[in-house]
Formats: sequence, structure tokens, C-alpha cells
Amino acid sequence: MPGPYKETDLTERVEAFLSDLKRGGTGAGPLRGSAETARETTALLRKITAQARWGSAGDLMEIIRKEGRRMTAAQPSETTVGNMIRRVLKIIREEYARSRGSSEEADQESLHKLLTSGGLSEENFRQHFPPLKANVIEAINELLTELEGTTDNIAMQALEHIHSNEVIMTIGRSRTVEAFLKDAARKRKFHVIVAECAPFCQGHEMATNLSKAGIETTVITDAAIFAVMSRVNKVIIGTQTVLANGGLRAINGTHTLALAAKHHSTPLIVCAPMFKLSPQVRDYSKVRILSKVNVHCPVFDYVPPELITLFISNIGGHAPSYIYRLMSELYHPEDHEL
Amino acid sequence: MNNEELVEYFRDQMRKDPDMASAVAAIRTLLEFLKRDKGETILGLRESLMSATDCLTGVDSSVAVSSGGELFLRFISLTSLEHQDLSRCKKVMEERGELFLEKISMSRTKVAKLCHTFIKDGAKILTHSYSRVVLRVLEKAAAEKKRFSVYVTESQPDAAGQHMAEALRKLNVPVTVVLDAAVGYVLEKVDLVIVGAEGVVESGGIINKIGTYQMALCSKAHNKPFYVVAESFKFVRLYPLNQQDVPEKFKYKADTLKTAKNLSEEHPIIDYTPPSLITLLFTDLGVLTPSAVSDELIKLYL
Repeated sequence: MPGPYKETDLTERVEAFLSDLKRGGTGAGPLRGSAETARETTALLRKITAQARWGSAGDLMEIIRKEGRRMTAAQPSETTVGNMIRRVLKIIREEYARSRGSSEEADQESLHKLLTSGGLSEENFRQHFPPLKANVIEAINELLTELEGTTDNIAMQALEHIHSNEVIMTIGRSRTVEAFLKDAARKRKFHVIVAECAPFCQGHEMATNLSKAGIETTVITDAAIFAVMSRVNKVIIGTQTVLANGGLRAINGTHTLALAAKHHSTPLIVCAPMFKLSPQVRDYSKVRILSKVNVHCPVFDYVPPELITLFISNIGGHAPSYIYRLMSELYHPEDHEL
Repeated sequence: MNNEELVEYFRDQMRKDPDMASAVAAIRTLLEFLKRDKGETILGLRESLMSATDCLTGVDSSVAVSSGGELFLRFISLTSLEHQDLSRCKKVMEERGELFLEKISMSRTKVAKLCHTFIKDGAKILTHSYSRVVLRVLEKAAAEKKRFSVYVTESQPDAAGQHMAEALRKLNVPVTVVLDAAVGYVLEKVDLVIVGAEGVVESGGIINKIGTYQMALCSKAHNKPFYVVAESFKFVRLYPLNQQDVPEKFKYKADTLKTAKNLSEEHPIIDYTPPSLITLLFTDLGVLTPSAVSDELIKLYL
């Protein structure tokens, strides 16, 4: 029977993904980057849309929400999983609205809507539209194409921001920043200082990769960040998550770097693709005990939006105060809590 | 409905439900005015509504009443654009008006739901004067079994802070009343500051009881988060750049405006807090950064 076979195949895929997430650790770890996680999550959601049994948009959203809750519970620090689920939920809402012929503008809460709406509309997504499945899958495919191009789109903007003979500082290892700097190195000559970011010292790997691309690189310890900052022209960093208020959740040591940059009035540029944008506002610091001595070693830092100069994402450059706007374009307010 | 009836109805609404925001009472009064209006044209309706709003601001000069009135006027304009015929238009307006009132009566609950998660267990909160929205937020946090303590400023000249402290004691929340001058002194003990707002201006700043600006400056200096809780009907189309830019009609109580000979000798009862000092605004439209406020206003008044 094709029906039950598909179901077990699907559940197997989901289980495999969940155990992978649990083992994988954080996105900055060696096993997988967050871009990969985002792509795998979206591919899995496409599979669920194609193979699971659902009659109306409401059913599909319920299924995806349920799976989404399990996925986010498996690895809470990997926010890209939750972000992709919210993107897909918004896609479903949009396709449903388009099938019904109404505009999606009506969804957003606003003062205007408060004054002009005709009734307390409770959209329950129960109508059945046959072409909905195909439309949703097509939209998810578009999302996947977007995801594949993010690093390149960000790297393309490198030449506008990096000039010859500049000294750039970065911290730890970010695949996005690596691509960004390598792209600029094709036409410009500049110097990079990498803070090693103890205790995992991913900065070392970053420095090796950059020097293989022909960029002059220096590795410094985290304690030397402030001392060296006066010689630096720009700070370019990646991040694990971009929060709704324009702040960051980034590898530990980033807050120090940001404060040093602010003190020296050095611009701080964050290279982050749009799938890292998360509707959370608060900072949940993750704490891991590393050894038998009770040392609290936080994995992530919260960087407030006042310390950030510019966000470079795959759709262009934005100020931190604009992030809330991008949030409303990517996610629906009702999906903020899965 | 003439002016006396209007004022009487307004005062009645405020008396019946002391928990109601003054803007909501104003909108209710204007809706009642609309229902009883015998005008024949939409333009005439608008004019009589405008004079009714003026009359109400003569009774209660707060920013909230003015913003509520303007919102209602906007509501009328938007509705009249859709229906040309007056009687149909009035019917639609009345229905939508009731719906609008229903929605905004739920706005405080929405705000409380958003804000209480920011109050962590064991937090020490500082607040200013008496705000019903802040009270509702703290009620919700207490209902979620969070343990926190509150410092309230006395907030002269009307000692409204004492009233707030009373209400909090009834909720079994440990509360301390401090002098207005002691804000800087107490801030090192405090984890976060939450205040209400009488009006939220276009820049994302707020207009609130005098002393709020001071509190915001001190929190910035101490690096403590400064949160504002306000319902969306308080958004007002003003863009003050400094304290002098706030119109005089809001700065003093309605009676003072009528009787005082020389306003410069009177003490203003509100001040303006610029958006750079505010961390986040909690409204029924969601958690907004100050830059998002002007977006909302543009969407409404465009």
C-alpha cells in the first residue's frame, strides 16, 4: 500500500532529523552550519506537506505546528528550525488567502484594522482548495532556492563595505563572514584579525581558511580584543540569531567585542541571512557546565541593538531599528508562539 | 445632545467604571453623541463631533482624551468614505463603533499577556505614579505566581503613587513608596522600570506624568531597561522635539487652563520622554520598538 508506506517513511525521516538535531549541538559547532539546518528543515517540511494526510490548510498548519514543537524541543538553541517553521506557516496562510481571493494585508494587526474591520473575524482555515497543496509546495521550493543563495547574496555586497588596506576584526568562525571576506579578497588587499574565541577556539579554523584564500590574517586571544581595537577600521561578525529588537544572540565574546568597538567608535557590521531572524525578544543565555569544577561557561552572548551599526543580509543592508519591520514581513504574529 | 448633557454623560461614564481609561470614556460619549445626532450631512456631523471633542477636552485636558477624540474622528472619516448615504453610514458607524469599543476594552488584557513574561522571578520593579495598565500587568505577573517587589514613586502634586501602593498591597505584592527625588538613589537596587503612558507620540516617545523623563534618564545612566505599557488608542499625532514643543493645553489640568492668569507660574503635570530612552513599548498591537510606532501611525492616518 503506498499510503501507510509513505507514512512510515515520513515518520522515519522526522525521527532521524530529530536525533540528528539532538546530537548536532549548536549551529556554530563542527557538525553542521545553521544554513544546512535551515535547508534540511525546509526540505523536511516540504516532505510533510507532500506526504502527510491533510484536508484543509488548518489541518496542515496543525501538523506542522506539532512537528515544529517537537523539533524545537529537541534542540532549543537552534533557532533556525523554529524560524523555518514559521516561514512555512506564513506561506500556507498566504497561499490560502490567495486561493480565497482576499488580500493578506487583512491579517496584520494595526490601528487601521481596528477602526475599519467589519467583525471579529476568526479565520479558521477550514475551506478545502485542491490546488493549495501544489501552490504550497511551489512556494516552499522558492524558499529553498532563496536559502541556497543566501551566502552568495551576502558575499556579493562585500566590495561595497571593504576597502583597500583596511584592518578588519572578526571573532570565532562564521561561514557567512568567511565567504564575505573571501569575496572581497578577490579584488582588494586588506588585513584580518581573528579573535580565537575560547574555549572551542573556532577562530583558529577561520584563520586557516582565510589565509588559504590569500588574506593576511592574525590570530589574537580574546583578552587582547580591547588592546588591538584602536588599530581596527571595521568589525565584521556573524551571529547565531537576530532577535526581534535588533539585538543578537552570538557566540560568547561578541558582547565584549561590541563594547570595545563602541568605545573606539568603530562600526560593527553583522552579516546574517534572513533565516536567522527570530521573533524572540528576550535573551535566553545558555549555560553549559564544562568540567567538574562548577564553571559556568555560557555558549552565547546577548548583544543589545545600540552597539550594532549595520546588518548585511541576503536582501541588503539594514539598520537595527528596521529589524522589526522585516519580522512582520517574514512571520505572522500568531505564529510567534508555535 | 448639547454640551451639558455631553459633559454629564462623560462624567457618568468615568464614575460608573473608575477602571476605564479616559480615552475609552470619551469615545463612548462621542458614540452616544453620534447616535443622538440629528444632522443631515456628513460634514455637519464631523463639525458637531469636533466641537463635542473640544468640549470634552475642556473637562479633562489629558492627552488621552484628545487622542481618543481624534481617533474617533478618523474612524468617522474612514467609514464615511465607504458609504455615501448618511443613514446607511450612521448605521455602519454605530455597529463598528460598538465593535471598536469591545476590541479596545480587551486591549489591557492583551498588553498584560505580552508584558508579564518580561518580569522574572525575584525581580525588583520601579514604576511611576498610578497607572491602571501597569497595575494590570503586575496583577497578571502575580497571578502567574511570580515573586517580585515594587518601588513606586510618590508622584506629587497629587500623591497618586500612594493610590498605586494601596492597590498593590491588596494583591499581596511587597511595595515601597519612595520620594520622587529618590529615583536615582533606588535605581541601583532595581532590575527594570515599567511605566504607563498618557500618550504615545509619533517619534516613539511618550507623554506621561511629570517625573517620567527623569526616571528614564536615570535608568539610561544605570543601564536598566525602561519599558512602557500603553494601549494602541493612545497613539497621538504629535512630534515634539523637546519639552517646550508639547502643547500647553496638555501640560496643565483643564481647570488651571481656564482660571490661571499666568501659565508660566503654574507647574506642568506631564513631561515628554524621548524614544532614545525607551527600550520597548508593550501595546495591544504587539511588542514594539520605538521606531515601529511611527509606522503604525502612518498606516492609520495615510
